[in-house]
Amino acid sequence: MKDRYAYYPGCLASLSQKELDSSSRAIMGKLGVELVEMPSVTCCGAGDIHEAKPDYYLHISARILGQAERSGCDTILTICNVCTLNLRQANERLRENPEELARVNDNLQQTGIGTYQGGVDVRHLLWEVSTGDGYERFKEIAVRSLEGLKVAPFYGCQILRPAKLLGFEDPDRPESLERLITACGAEPVDYPAKVKCCGFPIVLAREDVALGELVQPLSQATEAGADVMVTPCPLCHLSLDAWQAKAENTAGEEFNLPILHLAQLLGAAAGIEESTLKFRRHITRLSDDVKEKLKLPSVVSAD
Amino acid sequence: MEFTLKIERYDPDTDQGRLQEFTVDAPETATLLDVLDVVKDTVDGSVTYRKSCRMAVCGSCGMRMDGAAVLACKTPMAPLAEEGRVPVISPMGNLPVIKDLVVDMDPFWAKFKAVKPWLEEDDRPPVKEWRVQQEELDRIMKEALCIQCGCCVSECNSMEADPDFLGPAALAKAQRFVGDARDRDRSERLRTLNGPHGVWDCTRCYFCNQRCPKGVDPRDAIAKLGAEAFRERLTRDEGAKHAKVFVSSTYRGGYLRETELVPKTIGPIGAITQIPFALQLARAGKVPNPLSPHKAKDNAEVKRLWKLLEAQTPTTRERATRGADGAGA
Repeated sequence: MKDRYAYYPGCLASLSQKELDSSSRAIMGKLGVELVEMPSVTCCGAGDIHEAKPDYYLHISARILGQAERSGCDTILTICNVCTLNLRQANERLRENPEELARVNDNLQQTGIGTYQGGVDVRHLLWEVSTGDGYERFKEIAVRSLEGLKVAPFYGCQILRPAKLLGFEDPDRPESLERLITACGAEPVDYPAKVKCCGFPIVLAREDVALGELVQPLSQATEAGADVMVTPCPLCHLSLDAWQAKAENTAGEEFNLPILHLAQLLGAAAGIEESTLKFRRHITRLSDDVKEKLKLPSVVSAD
Repeated sequence: MEFTLKIERYDPDTDQGRLQEFTVDAPETATLLDVLDVVKDTVDGSVTYRKSCRMAVCGSCGMRMDGAAVLACKTPMAPLAEEGRVPVISPMGNLPVIKDLVVDMDPFWAKFKAVKPWLEEDDRPPVKEWRVQQEELDRIMKEALCIQCGCCVSECNSMEADPDFLGPAALAKAQRFVGDARDRDRSERLRTLNGPHGVWDCTRCYFCNQRCPKGVDPRDAIAKLGAEAFRERLTRDEGAKHAKVFVSSTYRGGYLRETELVPKTIGPIGAITQIPFALQLARAGKVPNPLSPHKAKDNAEVKRLWKLLEAQTPTTRERATRGADGAGA
């Protein structure tokens, strides 16, 4: 883990999923990491701009990477799967193709934008906290054991696949979330759909198809006895949390499965207060039993 | 070397399935297909699977190993045996099982045919041969490598939920022709592909790219089709409208305008039906204030960048002319 990162929360954590932003800042602060702000960055382009206007996507990504570079950081910290894949994909294309980088930089210069020299890596918070020094540091601050809490890990697609661009762990047998769940003192719950899709990218354009995908992880995790599900992606979170009631209609069964952002789970184990983790911003509410198992200070003090 | 594996057996006569374990000896260099051959030749002749070329060209031996689609002839077994893993071999997903590891490929081929996997030329044949420039061939080379094994289709998450989705193999093949400088049916192809069960059904799970044994990267091919549709201004599909909101949001303020996504993707009438859902989100604080959107600093830079790139993008007409010049003469 680095001591300084160029922090890139992306759109969702800056908008509807602000609880992810506050939780991520808090946990990284506790880990002794400095997050350097990049106030001029835009959306990463997501799959949408990448698909509709690929060259524009490449340029706005280069602009983001360039800003990170000029901030004096060698690594961007992401907290979203989609941002991670899109920035890494653009970064690889620019770093592997000097001619392409030169063309993009020429366009950036023509429009008065600082160029990108290719010196930045893009890493997700999950990767930084689940291995090496970051993992050791996290174990030290995870002072509240979440014993008895059964947690279903949900990875989401774009932190695993395509492995040639992400490459952090085996996309079919990932274990980073399980490692962190265990470090929190909780118990990971296994189920096949933990590496599958939540359907979010098409939940507005093709709601029926998306819900058909969303039902699988919710149903399997509930069946496996999970108290909560945890995900490193705010898009997966929104899908699993906000669309859960619709998925229940599709499946004809009740899930009532609270969905946690990874930073919230880590935060609960590190004793970060509820006012920062902001579970109240979730659509699927935490039951009293789950609150107790999460050792939320409000519940603990009430006892 | 000793290899143990479990095979998902299915008997169509009795409609019964079972998992059967086999242990056989085979050379250290054995692939999954070699091990299956030893099982069939020496233990149980009724074990059924497809095979032909044994060299990852014919695309016959697609099947799943521990849930992941592979070409049996391209999958070495020694690493698993050394780890002590006993893999479960099962038929590919998203296709009906006929017997054991053999799936019915008819639905696969029907989608393939639906995208017209052939070159549509002018009525008048060219007076000379079509000359294709190297860069034009490069544009479709990846998609042309497809061997139609079905490994991508097997794992397609959208197809699990919508069996009528054209899917990664057919769409990659479609891109191979949409991107072909000689093809004269490009616009019509794109119109069809941008309809129901087409390009915008893809949920970007990237399983297809992960599984493809030939590096076709079908998801990337689907993204190319989306970009081609935008160039042709074919943006009536809800998926394309969704993408348009992202593009216009970054232009106007840098960040996504989430509150515009619903009305602009599914239209005002569809949006009205979503009001109860939106209120639920609003109560949890999940609806950003549409009157005061979150904006990035210095977004004038992005506007300038957009304008420059739009000026650089060759128009469809120019591309078509260039294509004819390059390919015709």
